[in-house]
Amino acid sequence: MKSHSRRISLVAMAAAVMAFSTTPTWAQLKLGFNVPLTGFAAADGKSALEGAKLAVEQANAKGGVAGQKIELVVYDDQATPKEAVPSATKMIEKDQVVAAVSGSYSGSTRAAASIFQRAQVPYVVAYAIHPDITLAGDYMFRVSAMGEVQGRGGAKLVQNLGKKNVVLVTLKNDFGQALAAGFKEAAPKLGINIINEYEYGMPDRQFGPLVSKIKSDNPDVIYASGYFFTAGPLVSQLRAAGVTAPIIGQEGYDSEKFIEIAGPASEGTYVTTSLDRDSDAPATKAFLADYRKATNSGADMVAAASFTATAVAIEGLKKSGGKGGAALRDAIAAGSYDMPIGKLAFNDLHEVKKDIQVQIVKDKAFRRHSVISDPVLLAPPSKAK
Amino acid sequence: MLAFELVAQGLIQGSIYALVALGLTLVYGLLRILHVAHAALFTLGGYVGVLVCNASGSLALGLIIAAMVAGLGGVIMFRLAYQPLLRQPPYVALIASIGLFIASEEAFRIIFGAQGMSFTNPALQQQVAILGGLQFKLAELLVMLSTAVIIGVLAWLQARTRVGIACQATVSDPQMAESFGISLRRVRDINFFVGSALAGFAGVWVALLNNLVEPTMGSVPSYKALAIIVLGGLGSVPGTLAAALLLGVIESFGTIYLGALLDRNAIAFAFLIAVLMVRPQGLFARR
Repeated sequence: MKSHSRRISLVAMAAAVMAFSTTPTWAQLKLGFNVPLTGFAAADGKSALEGAKLAVEQANAKGGVAGQKIELVVYDDQATPKEAVPSATKMIEKDQVVAAVSGSYSGSTRAAASIFQRAQVPYVVAYAIHPDITLAGDYMFRVSAMGEVQGRGGAKLVQNLGKKNVVLVTLKNDFGQALAAGFKEAAPKLGINIINEYEYGMPDRQFGPLVSKIKSDNPDVIYASGYFFTAGPLVSQLRAAGVTAPIIGQEGYDSEKFIEIAGPASEGTYVTTSLDRDSDAPATKAFLADYRKATNSGADMVAAASFTATAVAIEGLKKSGGKGGAALRDAIAAGSYDMPIGKLAFNDLHEVKKDIQVQIVKDKAFRRHSVISDPVLLAPPSKAK
Repeated sequence: MLAFELVAQGLIQGSIYALVALGLTLVYGLLRILHVAHAALFTLGGYVGVLVCNASGSLALGLIIAAMVAGLGGVIMFRLAYQPLLRQPPYVALIASIGLFIASEEAFRIIFGAQGMSFTNPALQQQVAILGGLQFKLAELLVMLSTAVIIGVLAWLQARTRVGIACQATVSDPQMAESFGISLRRVRDINFFVGSALAGFAGVWVALLNNLVEPTMGSVPSYKALAIIVLGGLGSVPGTLAAALLLGVIESFGTIYLGALLDRNAIAFAFLIAVLMVRPQGLFARR
């Protein structure tokens, strides 16, 4: 049995070698991209895809990589592990991608990570925040701050606002729970008192009972995790019930759709994120303008992070001369990048260290409020710990 | 104080459940079909309501047209999907219904986009303070009020008009009803129309309360309404009504006091299991 399967894999390898050696020069470099285009996360998936496409178009307009055009091979993973696994396998086996980018959530990205690691295909993750992803191995890269780090940033913001008593509203998935864990870890050090924590599920849109309870808790500030489609209704219902405490959200709120759903109630909401709309950085300004030109809508965090992850993979390919595998891994790991979400460099665990942007909703738009820059508090995990 | 607010929030939620579950129970009573795709008409109502309201600026018009479109959608579903399957065992129609529901969610996504839609100028957002310092959105109060009025009118129609009596007769004995000259086909159409219109009407209210309609907004009501009609004793209209309101209130308290143990959407089913262990025929059914 064993020798049989070995023979098959030898044949497969020989076929692969032949395929590579006969590859004509006009062939395209394939870059895998898993993204939720259907299902509950489809709205974020659309932004992610636009961001990634923009990065590829820009690279191809400048002549591609090593004389080859880059082709984005897109798979819909519905943000679920069960779709992500076959997609990752197809990218590796059928499409033979040189690298892959995740434009999806943690659930599916975690599942795909170990498959790419085993195949030694570098995998650059845009905005999935679960810690296990980079722990899958040295072919994994993440361009955004992990959930725990963002949660600590949220606690720091509470302190910066001069508030003390907090109610936590936590979305019951790995995104919300990672944020809450980071927040709760940092809170005692910063003198923050957590009055209560409530959890809600992904399908929840009506928060009537929760809102009544929060009102009776009377907090100074509310730290609520969620995505725009849960946060929009939550914020609007809190304000309608007369709760006036400031609300702090995160990357998941970071969409123009949030402002549209919550309407006037969204004014004054804080968001800790990685995209600063009022940035002076040329990379960010250019991205915001190009994205608007390409899609006729404003960019959000998901689009910016997916653009960044794709562009990082492409820059790596340029350095490796279009080669994948270990050469590409080392090229990506060694680089430093000037991206729409800031200047990035990877640590030994391939996490990025960067500041957290605090945006506030003002006159129906996200505006810069402040930047949280605390290298100790916001340190990403490394191999050391 | 908090308890009052929780009861009120429970009744608001319960009213929505009632509107959705009533259509389901009407269909079950008449045809013994578990009509999962009913929730797709709830979503359809939400979309139509937002579109009409944004175009015309009138919420009333949005509610009426949404109810009409959802009602017609229900009749079309019945004619195309269920009628040809009436002679098959009930699970065949159930499978068709689940398929129809999944297909409609994706159809909504393709037609209206994945981002969901919102009212440009959501109506009835004013805050109203009532006795004892309770504060509500005007829309929340009107959900309860309109549900009570509509269900009252329907109960009256069913008890006092020829059409209503024909419906009741068809439910209790279709063959006998037919031999008395009642058109089964017409009764079924009317049933689907009314039930689906209620779901569409509820869809607009939910769209307004959340200021969001999404392709997947029917997924929770689709199975929760099934739990409600089982609780209410399958096919019983007053039972469904009571079960919907009761579940709303139980969920409201459960979210706060059991939230750490049990997901809000699991409360309905935990309650369902508990009830079925004691009263297998449902809370309100007569044996």
